[in-house]
Amino acid sequence: MESATVLRLEGIRKGFPGVKALDGVSLEFRQGEVHALVGENGAGKSTLMKILSGVYQADEGRIFLNGAPAVFRSPHQAQLAGISIIFQEFSLIRGFDVTENVFLNREPTRFLGHLDRRTARERTRALLAEIGIELDVDRKVGELSVVQQQVVEIVKALSVTASVLIMDEPSAALTDKELKKLFEIIRTLKARGVTVIYISHMLEEIFQIADRVTVLKDGKVVGTRSASELTKDELVRMMVGRSIEDYYPPLATARGRPLLQVRGLGKRGRLWDVDLELHAGEIVGVAGMVGSGRNLLARCILGLERFERGEILVHGRRYAPRGFDDAMAAGIGYIADDRKALGILGPMTVKENATIANLPAYLSFGFLRHAREAGAARRQVERLGIRTTGIGQAVETLSGGNQQKVLLARWLLREPDIFVISEPTRGIDVGAKAEIYRILREATAAGKAILMISSELTEVIGMSDRILVMHAGRIQGTLDQRQGKASEEQILSLAVGHVYSIRQGAENHAG
Amino acid sequence: MPGESALAAAPPSRLHLLADPAVLVWVILAALLFCCSLASPLFLDGENLRNVFLVQSIGLGLATLAQAIVVISGGIDLSVGAVISLLTSLAAGLYRVHPGLHPVWVALYLIALGAAAGAVNGFVVVRMKVTPFMATLATMSLFQGAVLFYAPRTIGGIPRSYRFISDGAIAGIPFSIVLFAAVLAACQLLLRKNRLGRHLYAVGADPYVAGISGIPVQRIRFLAYLIAGVLVGIAAMFMTARMGGGGPKVGVGYELDTITAVVIGGVSLAGGAGSLMGTFAGVLIIGVFYNLMNLLSVNAYLQIVLKGLVLVLAVSFYAKRRV
Repeated sequence: MESATVLRLEGIRKGFPGVKALDGVSLEFRQGEVHALVGENGAGKSTLMKILSGVYQADEGRIFLNGAPAVFRSPHQAQLAGISIIFQEFSLIRGFDVTENVFLNREPTRFLGHLDRRTARERTRALLAEIGIELDVDRKVGELSVVQQQVVEIVKALSVTASVLIMDEPSAALTDKELKKLFEIIRTLKARGVTVIYISHMLEEIFQIADRVTVLKDGKVVGTRSASELTKDELVRMMVGRSIEDYYPPLATARGRPLLQVRGLGKRGRLWDVDLELHAGEIVGVAGMVGSGRNLLARCILGLERFERGEILVHGRRYAPRGFDDAMAAGIGYIADDRKALGILGPMTVKENATIANLPAYLSFGFLRHAREAGAARRQVERLGIRTTGIGQAVETLSGGNQQKVLLARWLLREPDIFVISEPTRGIDVGAKAEIYRILREATAAGKAILMISSELTEVIGMSDRILVMHAGRIQGTLDQRQGKASEEQILSLAVGHVYSIRQGAENHAG
Repeated sequence: MPGESALAAAPPSRLHLLADPAVLVWVILAALLFCCSLASPLFLDGENLRNVFLVQSIGLGLATLAQAIVVISGGIDLSVGAVISLLTSLAAGLYRVHPGLHPVWVALYLIALGAAAGAVNGFVVVRMKVTPFMATLATMSLFQGAVLFYAPRTIGGIPRSYRFISDGAIAGIPFSIVLFAAVLAACQLLLRKNRLGRHLYAVGADPYVAGISGIPVQRIRFLAYLIAGVLVGIAAMFMTARMGGGGPKVGVGYELDTITAVVIGGVSLAGGAGSLMGTFAGVLIIGVFYNLMNLLSVNAYLQIVLKGLVLVLAVSFYAKRRV
């Protein structure tokens, strides 16, 4: 059964400074289908959806809605045309109740803007009934659970008779039970002829709910396939696609003495018996789902969070950090996943950002020696290939990749022995990624050790000498890549809690 | 029946009645009144009560309504006091030139001037993209300088007919009360029952969300200052009658007093939350508090110190509750 095409994209291109986010995307969405959009981080999914919903405008290309060319200059315009996007909690006002949110800016009124609250409530109730949900329309949105807030978003979209509903990672914060509920709602919408565009990282979900799947990669469409004719393996291959070999530098050939040893680390209810050794010259990747404890582990090592059991040794000496300054003093450097919030000092210059963690080196008698500082910054800019107009440029005006390199420069100047890096290439374009991988390898070649927490499986596989996979606060398995590369399936099955290989017996006894 | 398990499960919020600032603030007012009657026998005197509730609180109340609307929309207005001073002087100046003018014309003149001052604030914030704090700090200087330039000293000579606004009565009810009640009701209707009011809250609560919902955020911000300007005009209209003249000191301290009243009343300085009934109680608390200090003969300069202390405590109180 072939349904009519509701929405068609033709040659959509969109660039940001330093990145080509979308490179000629053409796509069709049919009426009443659930169309999943998948791809790695940075593949262009979110940019594409923002263009469809009017948040961004495309540089090139055309959008056809029901056959007619359409231009959306704002989310509101797209919504009026029938395309609504459900962001993760961003488009609701928490202090307003359900009705007020659903009819925000389309409040039914009588005279002189006098609100007709009764009509608004009745219509909200009717819309809720249509999708089979009971919800108090007078409750403040801030008091609702995440899935209830999503329901409000959906109802808000339906109240303008949405024909296309875009859901961006709707399952990220949902429990299994809530997800089932969401799928029920999606099926109800589908039956009403609404096209649902479903963006997700979770392949399982996609096979459960989607009719068709489109894979995006590096801003291009890899292909669109019917979900029933597609296997998970094929889908993964479409997503990963590139030859990993020419992308990542070779793994370490030798490993030195242990720099960081973690033994039996525990924190009630969140972290259990974590053992870890990090040797000079190696990169250890930590994989796992959000909430698996991988960030908590890093935070314990960095002194940002207290642990209750176990011990940490740095250079063989006991280390009990009470704050990040203890970690720094022990020779640990940290690059956080949220570059903007936790990394760069946006309005300050490249020079100032690079030297901030190592200022005492440029002081004499308490005064800053600018020439020495500038020299150090300039050498790093050159060595790391940071593309800037000069060391006086404000860091926030650099591309994401170059910002990340400045952060690397900051820590390379301080020369810690151990780096903890979280999501080293999040939101960075492909070219800069390869350079960052090279810089990390150069650091380990010089005897440093890196603990890399990453959600990108290809990156974990491409960069790690060993991979620790965490699940529910434990290390579920360790994959040594010197004995052959791990597969994404291996990591994923550990990350979702499957017990694997020789550890099986022990785990069963323990569990 | 779908919709029961995952969705209907969340328990209804058991917010204590006192957790609502609009209720809490009235309780505080009652407690304060009780303390005052104990602290000074003069407090419950008819003349004193008249002074607190009719003379002191109405001018401040009108100006505070203006402040509340701006703050709810996510802004702030530091220029209220300066605008009131300027407007009272201009009114007195107008009477100098045209002594026989009918009070209605003078009143309308002041409201129009207030709206114009509000439009200036709105223009600086919205079109010149100056943050509200800086914008109105600058216009405060602008308006205060203007009044000093126009007339450095108090101008008297407001005729009896005009002073009906503060001293007159309709059917035994003081006109000032009728005026304030009418303005309060109109503002309440606007904020609670009108689409524009809803949008003022939405823009204050989350300008991004308001924007992607198609609300013209900048226009709403401008309108907030314009409406506030009208209210400041009405406040000046009352103050001119009450003082029987105008001068550069009439509105002194109003920027701080209105902000304090708004904060005590439970309006969030971050915007998007708060009620006018709470604000009204905040005004009365300030009025009673000042009155108490006067009755206890607290040094006038020390009073200013205490004012600052009250503001800090009020802001800190709500800051803690929001965490």
